[in-house]
Amino acid sequence: MTESLIGLACMLLLAFLRLPIALSMGVVGVVGYAYMRGWNWAPAFAMAQTQAYETGRNYALSVVPLFILMGNLVTRAGMSQELYRAAYAFIGHLRGGLAMATIVGCAGFGAICGSSIATAATFAKVAYPSMKQFGYSDRLAAGAIASGGTLGILIPPSTIMVIYGIMTGTSIGKLFAAGVLPGILATVLLCFAVQWVTWRDPKAGPRGERLTWKQRFDTLDGVGWFAAVGVAVVGAAQLGWLPADDAAVLGAIAVFALSLIFKGITSVIALFTLVMGGIYGGVFTAVEGAGVGAFGALIFALARRSLTWQALYASLVESARTTSMLFLILIGALMFAEFVNITSMPSDLKAFVKGLGVSPVVVVGAIMVFYVLLGTAMEELSMILLTVPIFFPLVVSLGVDPIWFGILIVVVVEIGLISPPVGMNLFVLNTLLPQVGTRTIFRGVLPFITADIVRLAILVAFPIISLYLPSLMK
Amino acid sequence: MLFYFVSAPEHKWERQADAVLGIAASILLGCMMLLTFADVVARYLLNWPIRGGFEITELLLLVLIFAGLPLVSHADEHVTMDFIDRMLPARLVVPWMRMMHAICAAIMFFLAWQVWIKAGRVYGDTTQVLEIIAGPFVYFMSVMLAVTALVHSFKVFAPVAPRGPIGTT
Repeated sequence: MTESLIGLACMLLLAFLRLPIALSMGVVGVVGYAYMRGWNWAPAFAMAQTQAYETGRNYALSVVPLFILMGNLVTRAGMSQELYRAAYAFIGHLRGGLAMATIVGCAGFGAICGSSIATAATFAKVAYPSMKQFGYSDRLAAGAIASGGTLGILIPPSTIMVIYGIMTGTSIGKLFAAGVLPGILATVLLCFAVQWVTWRDPKAGPRGERLTWKQRFDTLDGVGWFAAVGVAVVGAAQLGWLPADDAAVLGAIAVFALSLIFKGITSVIALFTLVMGGIYGGVFTAVEGAGVGAFGALIFALARRSLTWQALYASLVESARTTSMLFLILIGALMFAEFVNITSMPSDLKAFVKGLGVSPVVVVGAIMVFYVLLGTAMEELSMILLTVPIFFPLVVSLGVDPIWFGILIVVVVEIGLISPPVGMNLFVLNTLLPQVGTRTIFRGVLPFITADIVRLAILVAFPIISLYLPSLMK
Repeated sequence: MLFYFVSAPEHKWERQADAVLGIAASILLGCMMLLTFADVVARYLLNWPIRGGFEITELLLLVLIFAGLPLVSHADEHVTMDFIDRMLPARLVVPWMRMMHAICAAIMFFLAWQVWIKAGRVYGDTTQVLEIIAGPFVYFMSVMLAVTALVHSFKVFAPVAPRGPIGTT
């Protein structure tokens, strides 16, 4: 136990001294491993070699670059603009309606993009000018964009779910399915936060203009055709005209074709249904889903003529860089995990918690409090990679569902992303909207952090919200 | 909020080297996407899965990650914690950063050396279906780690400019 804690302290010290977090974890992992083997360096070096090589050469992990690429392509395809416009058409006339439209738009964007930073960044460009035009307060506007952005990693696809799934051997498809209902809950609670802000100060979020029902449904151009395809596919499979797999593939092709004709938000729905429906229904694996999603995003972006060669190159190279950066952190974290696993920490921790005799929910709750606090100061992905090898065996031994725990982890990451002083989404807004001061952003997110903490409590108390959809999967 | 200090690309050769690796990485990622998509289509529509497709994807991923690594280091995109920048006296921030680059370079050289050894050990290993020899790919990893180390060594001396932190999620 002591060795692990000293190792953890050394790692945090190195990171604090500004060594990249990936290297801090790797160095402590290798040195600690050698120490545990009686200062024998040969096995420690062999461990480092294996982790570097095997992690890079892992088919399951190729899902990471492909989903990142999909997110980067849809970000450049202008889909966020259409999502925002559609959400605005339906709820913009309510009090605080534009802020709620931002959150709903973010939720929709989260369904095709697995990054919260990309979601926040794209909505800062799309929604902020429109909110300013209607006289929204900077606090409400910044809070809505920053917190809405975090929906990007809860609603599938999600980079953090993929990494958690691979690290712990949990099904990525089931994690994705598990994120849907908590994502809807999150959207509703964030809208309540908007309502609370405008109830306190109605001038913070005035009403937008009311559109006619015809104008509203115009933003859903083509939705009937997509629905018809859906009914045809399900019907053909149910009535036994076609094998289910063939029906699904034909449906996918029809969806592709329709998306080339209709360019509204229906193509967002189509892309989500194609990728997530395919994974959920077992038509393809998560890797294949990511490949299909990235290719679909490319086709959609080309169809909208919003993708120049330069933008395509930028999407690809940016995705490649993000991939390398993430994998270096992953390799470092796995080296650290190898060290922790040969110390007595995992079993000591299990014995300690069992000795306390408290129920698993209390343990999970305590871990979540720890994460929320640590997330205010630490970079979230590193926090998860560093601590999951320690906590995961513990919670599994207590009979906690790994999928539920994964969803809770995503939620604490979301909270960390908008917690001052180092929340990444706040920084994104600070960079993209320099006219809004840092203090305004910090104060603006507070009601939304409160809503997120309420959501975390609800999800801890009712695991069924996370586990219902995955339980229906094959 | 505070900004990091990162080196500013000044030289033409720096931008050219960046572009070469960037294009290579883009092509690899593009191929990975097309291959995965084609594999799904071929399997369902033609009942003819691409032979050894997943092995190629694996190797593409390996090459992609390590080809991208020098780019990440060059763009200073590794995730770091920035508290120390606020605590050090302003005149020490940049020298401190240079010292950390020197340490990163040492670690990267060490990894390059270790992977080089690994490459010798697994050289003749082949993939199951297509029987591709692993060796050249592992040597490539090692070379790219060494290039990354050189980038960090270069940054010990390169001029600097401010920039914000990097997000992972």
